[in-house]
Amino acid sequence: MTTPLALEQAPPLSVPLRFFLSGPPLGAAAGVLVAVRWDVVTESRWALESLAAVHLVTVGFMLQVMAGALLQFLPVAAGANVWRPRVTGAVAHIGFLGGGLLLVGGFLGLGGWCFRGAAFTFGVATLFYVAVVGGGLLRSSAIGPTLPALKLAVLGLLVTVALGVTLLTALGWSARVPVLEVLHAHVAWGVIGWSATLVVGVAYLVVPMFQLTPPYPTRLAFALPPGLFGAALAWTAGVLLAVRWLAWAGTALGALALVGFAVKTLQLQARRRRGVKDSTFYAWRVGMAALVLAVVAAVAVRALPEGAARIRLEYVVGVALFAGVFPAVISGMLYKIVPFLVWLHLQRVMTGAPTMQKVIPAAGPRWQLRVLGAALACLSLAAAWPVLAVAGGALFAAACLLLEWHVVQAARLYARLAAAAAQRPEAGARP
Amino acid sequence: MDGPVIDARELEPPEPFVRVMDALKTLAPGATLTVLLPREPFPLYATLDKLGYPHDASLDGDGTYTIRIRKPA
Repeated sequence: MTTPLALEQAPPLSVPLRFFLSGPPLGAAAGVLVAVRWDVVTESRWALESLAAVHLVTVGFMLQVMAGALLQFLPVAAGANVWRPRVTGAVAHIGFLGGGLLLVGGFLGLGGWCFRGAAFTFGVATLFYVAVVGGGLLRSSAIGPTLPALKLAVLGLLVTVALGVTLLTALGWSARVPVLEVLHAHVAWGVIGWSATLVVGVAYLVVPMFQLTPPYPTRLAFALPPGLFGAALAWTAGVLLAVRWLAWAGTALGALALVGFAVKTLQLQARRRRGVKDSTFYAWRVGMAALVLAVVAAVAVRALPEGAARIRLEYVVGVALFAGVFPAVISGMLYKIVPFLVWLHLQRVMTGAPTMQKVIPAAGPRWQLRVLGAALACLSLAAAWPVLAVAGGALFAAACLLLEWHVVQAARLYARLAAAAAQRPEAGARP
Repeated sequence: MDGPVIDARELEPPEPFVRVMDALKTLAPGATLTVLLPREPFPLYATLDKLGYPHDASLDGDGTYTIRIRKPA
């Protein structure tokens, strides 16, 4: 019998799964909202329905999955222990989920109390989460570039939420805040300082591991996360202090780092050593292509004067990021992480645990990516023909629900086999 | 490098782990097993610590991690 992988550091499967199960339905809700209020959403990124849809994706779908994955990822990627994983998972999950729903409720007109509740819930949950995860990262002895990337990403999350809570004080308590400037900084930190930096750090591990590519070159891998952090910092300082060249420097640095990451990832994929081209491979391709599109459109937005063309391009940036880059990459990662975790935990309690390919058969993820790709195409084209956002929103909701269905199926398989193994310890369970 | 080398950079998990565990069974006491990986294998470290195998790692410019595992004499 082969020695099983030591699992003492890994959190119970229920810890990441609770996040993975609650994220996709919130993404589906965003799709439905876009399909129903397509006329408003395509018209302005600042419309309350647009803000609700974006936050259903960012703090609903993305934050749920990313926060849960990070709790699972820390022991594997950095050898960092998470303090009482069940407690940490429960507090972060309930806090982020509750805060996200309150925030969206506020945008959809349920009242100022929603904003006040969201500020409190998000603030407390984030401080707790950052303290626990940050503490684990500070104790890590990892030598690779993933560790500094994760440290900067967690710091980016803290800054993003701090700026978001500052905005909520204006919405919930009518506090005097330079809303537009803080809003621009909040977006930059949410997209670049937190989300993109985390994706970069996670990519260093999962792209070579699951797609069998060569690793990211060491110097580039160490340079990208501080480059992204510096870009968010320069942009924020430029906007808050009204120094145009500094804001432009931040834009240029961020664009360079993101395009550099996307191009290097596509190059590594092209040089992969072996293995089938599965849905995760194509999901990362879609994600990186959408990232290049988002960066080009974002730079063009900065160069354009106010007007209809600029509004259209701002919409394209949002679609490329929140219906393209992050959902594609997150779906691709979940389709590897969830089967891997199911196998990892089952091999401790039974012999002949199902392989990753059997936990989620390949056909399901392929269909999910096709639907997501169709959603991205429709939503992008809606910049020219807004009514296409109806189909785009519906397809995005369908892609999220397909992802949810596949995660549920994997969780049910684990529960069934683990329960069966527990009932007949003499037949195959490990001591 | 003295002793056997496993180039596990082209292997999908959990194959590198399985190969390392198999190789350690036949490794002579006091000998060193070298493993090349595109990541630092913390789950493997946890297992090695549990089994009492000392290990260390270094990172090359191309992103390859070299893990050296010594079988106690």
